[in-house]
Amino acid sequence: MFQKTLGFRIFFWSFLLVIGFFAFFPQLWMISTSLKPATEMFSFSFFKYFDFSNLKRVLSDRTFLTYLRNGIVVAVASSVCSTVVSVLAGYSFSKFRFKGRKTVMALIMVSQAFPQGLLLLSLYPMMQKVGMLDTLPSIILAYIAFTLPVGTWTLKAYFDQVPQSLMEAARVDGSSEWRTMFQIIIPLAVPGMMTIAIYSFVWAWNDLLYALTLISSTANRTLASGMVFTFTGEGGNDWIGMMAASVIASIPVAAIFVFLQRYFIAGLTAGAVKG
Amino acid sequence: MNRSTRNQTLMGWLLLLPAMAIFALMIFYPFINSIFISFTNRNLLYAKSAFIGFDNYRKLFSDPNTLFLIWTTVKFVFLATLMPFAIGLIWALLMNQKFKGSEFVRGLTLVNWIIPGIAIGFLWSWIFNGDYGILNALLGKLGLIDKNVIWFGGKQTSMLAVVTARTWQMFPWYMAFIMGGLQGVSNDQCEAARIDGVNNLQMFRHVIIPAIKPVLILILLLGTIGNLQHFDLINVMTGGGPERATSTFATEVYKKAFKEYSVGRAASLGVIWAMMLSLFSIFYLKRIKED
Repeated sequence: MFQKTLGFRIFFWSFLLVIGFFAFFPQLWMISTSLKPATEMFSFSFFKYFDFSNLKRVLSDRTFLTYLRNGIVVAVASSVCSTVVSVLAGYSFSKFRFKGRKTVMALIMVSQAFPQGLLLLSLYPMMQKVGMLDTLPSIILAYIAFTLPVGTWTLKAYFDQVPQSLMEAARVDGSSEWRTMFQIIIPLAVPGMMTIAIYSFVWAWNDLLYALTLISSTANRTLASGMVFTFTGEGGNDWIGMMAASVIASIPVAAIFVFLQRYFIAGLTAGAVKG
Repeated sequence: MNRSTRNQTLMGWLLLLPAMAIFALMIFYPFINSIFISFTNRNLLYAKSAFIGFDNYRKLFSDPNTLFLIWTTVKFVFLATLMPFAIGLIWALLMNQKFKGSEFVRGLTLVNWIIPGIAIGFLWSWIFNGDYGILNALLGKLGLIDKNVIWFGGKQTSMLAVVTARTWQMFPWYMAFIMGGLQGVSNDQCEAARIDGVNNLQMFRHVIIPAIKPVLILILLLGTIGNLQHFDLINVMTGGGPERATSTFATEVYKKAFKEYSVGRAASLGVIWAMMLSLFSIFYLKRIKED
């Protein structure tokens, strides 16, 4: 694409160093701080200490473990439900033609831009009324709803790529609509389903706003919102503890990402661009 | 209606049922209801509320804080979209060179984007910490400052801190999209331009940018929408302060409703917020329809 002239080399190396430092030094600083003994909290040493007792301290805290467990439950449940619902809806949009289809598709797409904070103002009293305030299902439902637009559209794009002739052939062979769907078409969209499963998992794992408001008791808090409560007030100066908790909160999503990167990037960008 | 159309309609809607139920319950109804709430004096502490017409809106428009909120929101959205966009574009060009280890570096960059906002907020609060932060130490060592800057004490510096954290989080996302766009730039076109004698800068401006323009516009729109909705980092790092200097609609609606309990007023602010958002989403919808 570019000729490797002197100017290009200068551009390449200077930005590689500057942006590289900006991108990676903070990551390393987080890890490095989390591994310092408490007495060294304010020293600027960089990976001089490898004291794992902070991580152990955070991980042996009862409350933190409760947050961690809730976080995992919510993320897994949101991920599974969101994927199933999105598969069904995406399949419907891709393979069937019916009245109202285009309207519903546009409506789901537009809903992405509804401010989540505004919806919350109604969801809060609503959950209160049905007695679901401060329960895990309340936020799980919210996360399914918020990941639905991207999920549906991404999977629709996957189903669109399955040639119509494949469905015709199955029909000629006497396969029922349901069998065609579950045994022939859906298995072809597994990469797309992986994308959405990861996307919803990450969304639920990272969300702060809903977890902060719809959940009010320590026993039901998820990791992200739990960390806010652990480290405000007196805990606000425990930078080592904060970095240790941050490292622990980052590991699951970072690991998922490293192993499943190929599903993620291609799938998501395609969904947003093609629609 | 023949049998096949009826079948299509039936199956189509049947499969849509779970999605529609969740959509109606969790998005559509709350949206309409929140608009309704904006015309009431609803308070989180009292069960009863009364219809008060446009009172909330009238108060909002006569409050100088509202104008300031719009200004800080626009400032945040503008900076927090353009900064990561520019860095993401450059980083995408570098990663597209496919040097040894570039795939690994690209993957590592995306870690910034995938980890929880709370972790990023803690990390950058720590880096920007006035007394013990590494940033002051680095700037001091380079001789750029002679005494510690209390970043979260000043209005401009707080905004700078929040935008920096958001840039760090989001530039990999822009990079990912732009790299997708760069794959679509044909080699033939580059070769042809090269034979015509264009230099690298001309190549960038006249061949590459036009080729990836649709993607660039799309991510600028999506990025703007995302920043208009963004809550996590601001809430964790500054809570909108000092003196509302980093407040956006997202943090202000949350504060009005869940700290001051005036849900009605929060809703009226939220409706204005929704209008700002819809402007950009209309553009977005138009774009993806064209493609």
